[in-house]
Amino acid sequence: MSRALVFSSQVYSIKTIKKAAYRCSDVLSVDIIPRSDEIECILHFLSEPKEEEQVQRIVAAFRNEVLDQDLRSVIAKETEATRNAVLAFALSKTGLLGGE
Amino acid sequence: MVSKFQPLSAFQQPLINGYQLLPFRFTSLDDHDYVLTNQAGEFIILERTTLEALVRHQLPASDWLYDDLKSKHFIIDHDSSVAMDLLPLKVRTKLQRLAEFTGLHIFVVSLRCEHSCPYCQVSRQSNDKLAFDMSVGTAEKALALVFRSPSPGIKIEFQGGEPLLNFPLIRHVVERAEAWNLAERRNLQFVIATNLAVINEEILDFCRDHDILISTSLDGPSDLHNANRPRPGNDSYDRAIEGISRVRNALGRDRVSALMTTTKLSLGRVRDIVDEYVAQGFRGIFLRPMSPYGFAVKTKWFKAYDADEWLEFYFIGLDYILDLNRSGYAFTEFYAATILAKMLTPFEPGFVDLRSPAGIGIAAIVYNYDGDVYASDESRMLAEMGDKTFRIGNVHRDRYEDIILSDALLGPIEESFAASVPMCSDCAFEPFCGADPVFHHATQGDFVGRKSLSAFCKRNMSIFRRLIKLMRNDDDARRVFVRWANSRC
Repeated sequence: MSRALVFSSQVYSIKTIKKAAYRCSDVLSVDIIPRSDEIECILHFLSEPKEEEQVQRIVAAFRNEVLDQDLRSVIAKETEATRNAVLAFALSKTGLLGGE
Repeated sequence: MVSKFQPLSAFQQPLINGYQLLPFRFTSLDDHDYVLTNQAGEFIILERTTLEALVRHQLPASDWLYDDLKSKHFIIDHDSSVAMDLLPLKVRTKLQRLAEFTGLHIFVVSLRCEHSCPYCQVSRQSNDKLAFDMSVGTAEKALALVFRSPSPGIKIEFQGGEPLLNFPLIRHVVERAEAWNLAERRNLQFVIATNLAVINEEILDFCRDHDILISTSLDGPSDLHNANRPRPGNDSYDRAIEGISRVRNALGRDRVSALMTTTKLSLGRVRDIVDEYVAQGFRGIFLRPMSPYGFAVKTKWFKAYDADEWLEFYFIGLDYILDLNRSGYAFTEFYAATILAKMLTPFEPGFVDLRSPAGIGIAAIVYNYDGDVYASDESRMLAEMGDKTFRIGNVHRDRYEDIILSDALLGPIEESFAASVPMCSDCAFEPFCGADPVFHHATQGDFVGRKSLSAFCKRNMSIFRRLIKLMRNDDDARRVFVRWANSRC
């Protein structure tokens, strides 16, 4: 059993959708098909859902995960320099290198 | 080659709508709310709409959560950027144990055991003393490696099989380590992990004279304990209880601790198990699932229940323990306490199974009876099943540098580092969790494992969520949890 979903490539990146697909890989496998201005996803259910409600729930979970991954990519991009600076400070002068 | 840092301006982001985001991760708590954690593991709970507004720079300074987000280092603004000074300090404090390096050194002094537990994860042997006991020569070589560790604290733990079946070697190692430590001046501790069935006055006297701690097994009430831990005479429980009493009388009340293992037989009986610990005067319990190693796999006891069944067992137990605390009896669930220490204090409690980088080799190391060195207790359990992936050297053949810098150790540590593996890298619970390359190798065949299928991930994520919900919704639970957290640091 499978369902098709289409996301706008103006809004979502392939990487974002791949991450969402990976996170849902306990219940789904996903074909990701990029087109010019959209990304088609074919969701294959690993075990056949018994009711339509269950299908809707899994599809909704995938959609929400795509949204979450998109938000994560925004945070990662905005905070990359700060994240590296914090780690550099935190791991400096450990005494593990000569001359520190 | 000279490398230059980028100019300061590269690290100064513009303040959009008055604030700048600092690095954080988020994960859903339930259908409505999300948990956000900063780089140091401090957390806050937001609704999805607030999270979206925060990230899109649409959260007004007048929002009641704004100051919380600022004080917990999720944002900085014109008013204060002190977070940029505090965050690195907090991250460094969390990581300080890494610099200490290997503190726990496990000596498997014998693989022989007089019990025949079907869930035995170390694949004990019943006879052939020569083949399955550690020799003095091997112990001497292992001791030399122990003191190469730079750790200021050295804990030597004797394990088996039943280690007391090779008590002369324990005596030798303790005396030699103490002599060695006269010059080293480390904080040296000893622990014997024993079922207490063969303990005697000579052993107790030695333990008292050398300040040795005892760790034993207690799976619950008599019928459950004896069913889990058969031995000739079916008297494992009686011997354990008598042994606990003798140790307390000889060494002191706090010198003996107990561990339980959850079997299929335990599942409906967590209250009975906790009651047994209370009846025996323990002030806490570690509700442990079974591990996928040794006879536990061969006898299919490991597969007798799944992660969901264990979680149900665990949460009933946790609720029961909270009720005990509410009624005035201070009692701790140690796994929760370890996680809570990560959530609520600036410190990392250093529990080997919940560390990233993984604790294998660099937090704990195992010297097996035959001289082989393993990256962890679970690694040698796997080896007894024929898989020596985590054998990192041999005390007779390899130098300390060869062992610690071996690909067999550094490979899995590097590959499984949670902050850079799929799913963990963007999981809000990563600061509370750990990497377990041995478990994932044993269950999925690689060091990282696909976390959506991982029982380790499922168990821990469920526990993190439950603890956070309890703290949010139950003031009594929160007070108890703060006490547990601070007792584990």
